[in-house]
Parts: sequence; structure tokens; C-alpha cells
Amino acid sequence: MDAVVVIFVTGLISLFLGMYHKPMLALTSNLLGLSTAFTLFFLYGTYNSVLKSHFFSLVYDGSGVLLSLLSIVMTALVLIMGYNSQSKDRSNYADLTSLMMFSLTGALCLIGFRDFFMFFIGLEILSIPVYVLVGSRRGNQASAEAALKYFFTGSFATAILLFGIALVFGATGSFNINEIGFAILSGLYTPELMIPGALMILAALLFKVGAFPFHFWTADVYEGSSKPVLAYMSTTVKIAGLFALVQLMGLIFGNLKGNWEMVLYVVIIVTLFLGYLSAIQQKSMKRLLAYSGISNTGIALLSIMSGADHGSRNIVIFLLAYGASALVLLVVAQFAQDEENDLEELKGIGYRYPFLGIALLIALLSLSGIPPFSGFFGKLLLIQDVLVNHPVLSICAVLSSVIGAYVYIKLLLHFFHKESTLKDVRLNVASIIVITVASLLLIGGWLILYI
Amino acid sequence: MPTSTPINIDFYIILATLLFVIGAFGVMIRRNMIVLLMCIELMLNAVNLLMVAFSSYYNNADAQIFVFFIIVVAAAEATVGLSILILAYRQLRSIDISIFNKLKG
Repeated sequence: MDAVVVIFVTGLISLFLGMYHKPMLALTSNLLGLSTAFTLFFLYGTYNSVLKSHFFSLVYDGSGVLLSLLSIVMTALVLIMGYNSQSKDRSNYADLTSLMMFSLTGALCLIGFRDFFMFFIGLEILSIPVYVLVGSRRGNQASAEAALKYFFTGSFATAILLFGIALVFGATGSFNINEIGFAILSGLYTPELMIPGALMILAALLFKVGAFPFHFWTADVYEGSSKPVLAYMSTTVKIAGLFALVQLMGLIFGNLKGNWEMVLYVVIIVTLFLGYLSAIQQKSMKRLLAYSGISNTGIALLSIMSGADHGSRNIVIFLLAYGASALVLLVVAQFAQDEENDLEELKGIGYRYPFLGIALLIALLSLSGIPPFSGFFGKLLLIQDVLVNHPVLSICAVLSSVIGAYVYIKLLLHFFHKESTLKDVRLNVASIIVITVASLLLIGGWLILYI
Repeated sequence: MPTSTPINIDFYIILATLLFVIGAFGVMIRRNMIVLLMCIELMLNAVNLLMVAFSSYYNNADAQIFVFFIIVVAAAEATVGLSILILAYRQLRSIDISIFNKLKG
């Protein structure tokens, strides 16, 4: 809880620092706040806090703490990454960082939620700043359109989620997830209200994480937003949304499995293939990442079906690998001038600049699931979990990974093409830091298995 | 002396569901963005009604507190939504949702 408060206060401070128009000051204060929060989370449970977090129904178990640490690190990297591109327009960097801080507050609430109050509030605090962030490219028509689309689909999903929560309350008379779980276990609920409620909550969350059949907004929204915002959406927002979904289905509705298992089965299979099949022909990095993100969401959703110990660290490694790879790709894509068709412009960048080349190699091999990178271990462990209970799902996951590998290797060959029309690229400190940290996470991130 | 019998909870559920469906239907078929915002607001209010009805049914004030949260969040959401709408209107000079076709593919 202390860490959540620290991040919120940091956001408020950087809102005021916006007055001075000094991006460096805003960046420094935000990184200071983030590292304080990181330390507090690292020491979580070892010291006596004044703010007892179970009063606020926030409880972080093993993977909850790891994912909180991960989202703090990812947000810090996104801030550093955005420093260069956003500070060209020096007036609003501090505002954007404070919006990201507020959104991170929501993400942390969502990761540790123990009742529907915290769940709903966390989800809204996570989403509302992102609606603004998406629309933050001033004077850009695509950005305004993306913000509107994201806002309308997002608030529609919120309304569905709330109706679901109301129905679940009607079925059990409680918002606390332990009480609801107990009521389901002992059969003390009204099934006519409970099952539609559970399905509506599931649908709303699939909407937020961008899984089939609610994936249509992702490509448009990703294309309209700036690259740092897109990086934020594919790291922190995805981490929090997916983990909340896994917790919800595991902790609360785990004993209602018969009712939603088939639905989720179909959703996962279509999600797995749809993303990569649409990604094959994309010309811009943003859309490619959007579609490959859909398929990666599908693989992360496997952890719901595994029914194994829900404190498992497998999803942590997978989300870490996906987020770090997306960061590397986006930082490299920032070097292109042309927004619409940036892949053509970046042809041969890995060949001309070996530093970027190695980072791209690691990121793309990790995404396609080739050992010894984190992406491989994440995929392997998630697929292994469902192998016994749902062999069909694991076969589909492997097949979709093969299509994914085709997409990524093609991209890799494109980056290492000898002939290129590449304009000169000026490497800056910010992108070097982000690329180095992300590559280290990709190489050594799977070691958290042994913590 | 007239005695009032409490209304059956079923009627509240039916009414709230009806309001919610009307709102959801409106979001899907209407093209005017202001009307879309109103439809989402209608859906949220249907939820509020349902929450309050269940709250009195269970004699449990939790759901009434939840309604306050929903009202506050709905206000925040409407603020952001209207600002985004104005941003879009300045660039596109229209509030019809079908003009949004720049992003495709």
C-alpha cells in the first residue's frame, strides 16, 4: 500500500513540476518515486507498514509482488523511452508522466485486489489516464480518432463489467472475493444471476486485454497513439489486465468452471491464430505489434485454463518477455521518420548498427520462442501447464507459435537486409539505456524462477 | 391504515436489465457521439438501480457505497470523454461516428 501511495504522490508532484517546463526535472522526480516504490515492494511483508494493506483489501502474493515490480520497472523504461520523443514538445512531458503514474497506481491496485471495490476502482484508474494518453498527440487526426474509439469501447466494457458485478452481488450478497468463492463452493448462490454475471465480467475483461471477439479496437488504437504510450499499453496495462483476469477466474469463479470453460476454450484458440495471421502482411510496426499482441494475449490466457496453482510464476516470465521485446521493437521503431510505413524505412538497421542488431535479434528470437531467452521459458511453462488437461489447446498454442516464428524471423531478415535506404540514425542515451535493460531482462529474466 | 408490501426483487432486475439493454442497443446503433455518451450513462444508471435494489434486498449497505463509487467514476469518465470529443470535433468538424475511417487495415 505504501508503494501505491508513493506512486500516486509522485504523479501529483510531477503534475505541478509541469509548470517549470523542465523535462529532465520531471523525469528525475518520477524515477526517484518509482525507485522508492520499487524498494518498498521489494521489502513487501518484511516491515511493519502504517498503512496495513489488507484494510484496503490489497493483498500481494508471490507473483503479485513480482508483477508489481515488473510493472514499475516497465513504466520507468517507458518514461525514459518517451523522454526523447516527447520532450521535443517540451511543454507537456511532465503531464504525460504524471498520467502514467496515475495509471500505474491503478495497475497496482488491480494486481493486488481482494474485493470488487478495489477491482473496479483499480481498473478505472488504470484505463482513464490511458484514454487521455492515447489522444495526447496534439493536432493529429489519427490520435484523436484512436482516443475516441478507445474511450467508447473501454467505457462500454466498463458498463458491462459493472452489470456483471451487480449480478454477482445479487447472487451472493458480497463483494469480497473470499466470501464469493466460499458461497460458490458451498452452493449458497442464485445460479440464474451468478452465471450471467460471471460471463459478463469475463467478457468485459477480455475486452480490456484485447482478446477475440473483442480485439477489433487494438490495432486502431495502437496505430493512433504515440510509441511510448503504445509501449505503456503493451507492458503495464497488459500485465495488470491479464493478471487480474487470471486471479478473478482462479480465485472466484474457479468452481464454476463448467460454465465458462468452453467459452474460453474457443476464445483462446481463435485469439491464438487470429493475431499472427493478420500480422503477416502489416507494413507498420505499431499494427504488427498490435496483432502479435493479440496472439500473445492468447498464450497468456492459457494460464487460466491450467487450473494449476494460481500463484504460479509462469505468467510473470511470459509477460516480462513480451513486454521487454515490445519495448526493444518500439525503441528501434522510434528512429523512423515515417509513421505509417516505418518498417520499410527501417530495412537494414540491424546490419548497419550492430548494437541495435543484437538487441533486435534477442527481442525477436525471444518473441518467437527460441531458447535460451525468457520468451521461450514463458511459453514453454504456460503450454506445459495445459498439456495434460487440454492437449488440443497446447497443440494450437504450438502451431500458432510456429506462425509467429515465421512473422518474427521474416521481420528479423528484413532488419538484417544488406541493401537499405536507411537515413542516418543518431543513437541517444535514453534509447541505449532502455534497449540494454530490456535485453538483459530478455536474457536473464527467467532466472526469477529460482528466487 | 394502508400497509405497503415490498416490491418483489424480480421486477427491479427486469427493469434494470431493460434499461441496460436499451443503453447497450443505443451504443451499437446510434451514430451521434453525444447520444453514445448518454447511452453509456444510461447503462451505468441501470447498474446503480440494480445495486441499490440488491442492497435493500440483502439489508447490506455495501452495494449502496459501490453506487457512490460508480457515480464518481462515471463523472470522471464523462469528463474525459467530453474532452476527447471536443478534441476530435476541432479536427474533424463533426460528431458523427461514421466519419472515423482514417484508421484501417
